[in-house]
Amino acid sequence: MQLIGGLMVLAGVFLVGEVVKNAAGLMIPAPVLAIVFLVAVLAVLGKVPEGLRRVASFLLRHMALFFIPALVAMVALSEVLRDNIWPLLVIIIVSTLVPLWLTAFVFSRWAGTPDEPRADEGEL
Amino acid sequence: MSLLSLPAWPGWEGLFWLVLTVALYAGFSRLRRQFNDSGWLQPLLWVSATLIAILWIGDISLANYQLGANWLVVILGLSTVSIGVPIYDNLPVIRQAARPFLAAMLIGSVTAVSIALAMAHFMQLDSLLVASLATKSITSPLAYGVAIEIGGLPALAMGIVIITGNFAVLIGPKLFALTGLSDVRAQGLAYGVVGHGIGTAEAIRRSALMGSFAGLSMGLNGVLTSLVLPLAFSLS
Repeated sequence: MQLIGGLMVLAGVFLVGEVVKNAAGLMIPAPVLAIVFLVAVLAVLGKVPEGLRRVASFLLRHMALFFIPALVAMVALSEVLRDNIWPLLVIIIVSTLVPLWLTAFVFSRWAGTPDEPRADEGEL
Repeated sequence: MSLLSLPAWPGWEGLFWLVLTVALYAGFSRLRRQFNDSGWLQPLLWVSATLIAILWIGDISLANYQLGANWLVVILGLSTVSIGVPIYDNLPVIRQAARPFLAAMLIGSVTAVSIALAMAHFMQLDSLLVASLATKSITSPLAYGVAIEIGGLPALAMGIVIITGNFAVLIGPKLFALTGLSDVRAQGLAYGVVGHGIGTAEAIRRSALMGSFAGLSMGLNGVLTSLVLPLAFSLS
């Protein structure tokens, strides 16, 4: 029953996210809103229920699996992609590499090392 | 709801694609573990490439594949929501670094978009492509809507988002090792800003702390960019 409870919390905040998004006419995807609600619920509870942690850790560990259909759907784009593949690839490579490095660099320089060395919290 | 309006039963074809997708994912995940977590062995990339090749060679329609595979898409939503758990776990660490977090996120976000747009302009790409490139670093459900707003091609925008995310996780480990950026918070932040959901999926697999930074920056960046882009494009 613990796992079912966890699943219900996730589906519940997802539902709230979807309802709020539609009611307010927001462009933000429902799952992103739902993340905010989930953090709020957990802050009120003051802890992560065991069942929720187990369900969430399974879903997070294998998130890549759930992305596969979106990637395969790119097959439908083949024409537009093929006609412009080289300029697009060059642009994507440069505009991914530079900000990836810059973001991590700026943060590292500014934040320094964490106040106290601590292990990651929350096991996955 | 009547029985007739239930979602399409996947049937043997749909189930075959579902089983094949999960089996390939399991196989490539195992392969990567055996090669010391090599960044070049992203299961997401190789499984998708294999499936695309199979659909192409077999001349099988995407709709046929999606009969089974769309069951996974439903779970993607729940999986995304779950990022709230590591974010909650790591709230104290995140609060402690709030300012550098926001600054680095904004810098990363602005450079990603402006480099892409400047290069597209320089290469004289079609304005449809330029607009589709602008959304490259925001999570795909957002990119879809924003691309429509600014006159891009939604399907192409999503394709670019996905290639960007994959490239970020492909090159990330090498890049961070080479430049000595070993702080998992910094890496997570970068994966989330640049590689959105795919970057976050990879970060969370590496560590809970990295994943919570990625999830947070993916969400914030996605929302901020989707508010700013339509405005910027209406001015230009």
